[in-house]
Amino acid sequence: MEEGKMAQEYLFLDIVIWFGLYLIVCLSLNIEYGFGGIPNFGRALAVLIGAITVGGIVNRILMIFFGISGGIVEASGEVKSVVNGVIATNPGMGIGILLVSLLLAAILGAITGALFILPSAKLSEDYLAITLLAISEVMFMVSYYNTDMIGGYYGVSVPNILAFIPGEHRLLVFAGVIILTAFFVYLIVHRITNSPYGRLLKAMRENEMVVEAYGKNVMTIRIKTVAVGSAIAALAGALYAFYSVNVIASSFSRVEWTFYPFLMILLGGLANNKGVAAGVLAFVTVKILLIVYKFEITAALHLPFEAVWLEYIMFGILMLIILVYKPEGLIKEKPIMTEPIKRLSKSVKGNK
Amino acid sequence: MAIEASVVEGAIIYSNLLVLLSIGLTITYITTAVPNFAQGSFAVFGSYIALTLLRLFGIHPYYSIPVAFVFGGGLGIAVYIFVLKPLIKREAEIVILMIATLALDLILLGFLGAYSDYLANITKKGAKKFIFTPYDFNIGDFSAIFIVSLIVIALILACLFLLLYKTKFGVALRASMENPALAEIMGVNVEYTRIFSWFLSGSLAAVAGCLLPFRQEIVPLTGSIIIVSIFAASIVGGLATIYGALVGGYIVGISESFVTYQLSTVFGSGVLVYSKVVSLIVLIVMLILAPQGLTGVRWRKVKWLKSIFSST
Repeated sequence: MEEGKMAQEYLFLDIVIWFGLYLIVCLSLNIEYGFGGIPNFGRALAVLIGAITVGGIVNRILMIFFGISGGIVEASGEVKSVVNGVIATNPGMGIGILLVSLLLAAILGAITGALFILPSAKLSEDYLAITLLAISEVMFMVSYYNTDMIGGYYGVSVPNILAFIPGEHRLLVFAGVIILTAFFVYLIVHRITNSPYGRLLKAMRENEMVVEAYGKNVMTIRIKTVAVGSAIAALAGALYAFYSVNVIASSFSRVEWTFYPFLMILLGGLANNKGVAAGVLAFVTVKILLIVYKFEITAALHLPFEAVWLEYIMFGILMLIILVYKPEGLIKEKPIMTEPIKRLSKSVKGNK
Repeated sequence: MAIEASVVEGAIIYSNLLVLLSIGLTITYITTAVPNFAQGSFAVFGSYIALTLLRLFGIHPYYSIPVAFVFGGGLGIAVYIFVLKPLIKREAEIVILMIATLALDLILLGFLGAYSDYLANITKKGAKKFIFTPYDFNIGDFSAIFIVSLIVIALILACLFLLLYKTKFGVALRASMENPALAEIMGVNVEYTRIFSWFLSGSLAAVAGCLLPFRQEIVPLTGSIIIVSIFAASIVGGLATIYGALVGGYIVGISESFVTYQLSTVFGSGVLVYSKVVSLIVLIVMLILAPQGLTGVRWRKVKWLKSIFSST
């Protein structure tokens, strides 16, 4: 009985954690694709950059700080045990590392985002999507095969920033940290998309020529937008690295961090932050349940193969169904209610 | 620096296969206006057809080429009719069509992965990772795959040329590629040309996939890696023409093989895994200099070239 309750609590926290992580990534993608119409098929890259920030850069800073030398794979293990010891007695250290890492991840995310759209910033949507996907895919491969960056296929360890909290409460507190960050990101994205800049993005999505005619440079807007989006997505990568206390490049695949976010924002409704949150919640719940009950599913359906393939087929088909039958998503896009529009709609209602 | 004959051979084999894949990509791009992100998985589909025939019936992969051609073509047609046509009917934007092909890539990956588990189960032999090099033999001084890939590409290019330029259907096909609206007014059924282009795209990719395991290890995920090279080849040549795929395929294929080989002589064999970085760099340079591709550049109008020729 007690065990069942614990399993339930674990399941719930798992859903909360993944909801938070995916919400951050999906909000960032929504700014770029939902509002700006930029098909960023390389979203996974920014998330990977966030993980590299933690696994490759913060780890190295800590190595220098604590005078640990050697290859990153072994040294990161040593860093982990030393730093965990420090954090256990000094919570400030853990929180400090988290905040510095998030800041660093956002900065690096913004820089790589701006750089990686540069070659294609002037091009049409199809070329843009192809280039972003190609860059992201190649970076994914390089960070998987190159063992000097983030340990390649060996991976690297990451300190437990919550080492001062007893093990049995870690998941709960971490879920809190992630959901709090996601909430802040939501507020920031809400502000950005409701500002004149958000309306400019929508205008660009609808008609680039008109935006150019009004004296705005589409290329600059694209670069800025992808920089902002990538900065936000990198936060999720850094948080994920801290949550799983290790970084391995293979966890940052195109399916998990580009395709699924597209699926979630299309499911929830484009250019609509509430819709995105709804889409993420629906998707994450199904996905986590699939993972938890994968053995039961394989056994019940007598599948002669691993459940992960079924997951791919199902979500791929779900995407096609959404595209054909419900392209507007669960919650439809609404016009942005600026003060003049509110007044206008009031006076229209008044006349009736 | 002397380059070993086997490296040259390998580069040409790889380029031949890349040309097949890029022709498929450009032909569907021309008729349907969507870059197919599942083109790589189309190839892996062909690889698994060859593997199945080899494991179950002991048929050598070279004899599986016609089977792969037919089944690959079937897959192409199915993709067009069941996935893209309903979306085109609803006047979906190009990004939506691209996302649909991404979804398709994932579905194919799922099926290929599931099938590899299933095949391994019934043959009691791993199917998640395979290579055909042990089944290859020599013809004179060359490896058989070198000769076979050359014959295949020559045959396919010749047939394609005859079809496009010597038959009435070819004329209709070219007309509907140039200007679909006008072709439709003239009585050409654009729908047929689209279906045909998807048939061709799927079949050429499956043939390439049939031969690819002679050059590299295949896993269900191979498609999502090789797609970088396919896109690079198609864009370098120019997405708007079929010749572009031919030019781009050889440029990207040869530079990917040679540059990585040269680097490996300096830095050791560890750099061989970075061959796709070369493709990416070629792609990015091309996008900056001439995004319309080599066949899209009006060479007579390039000023610096003119100045070189007039000064000599």
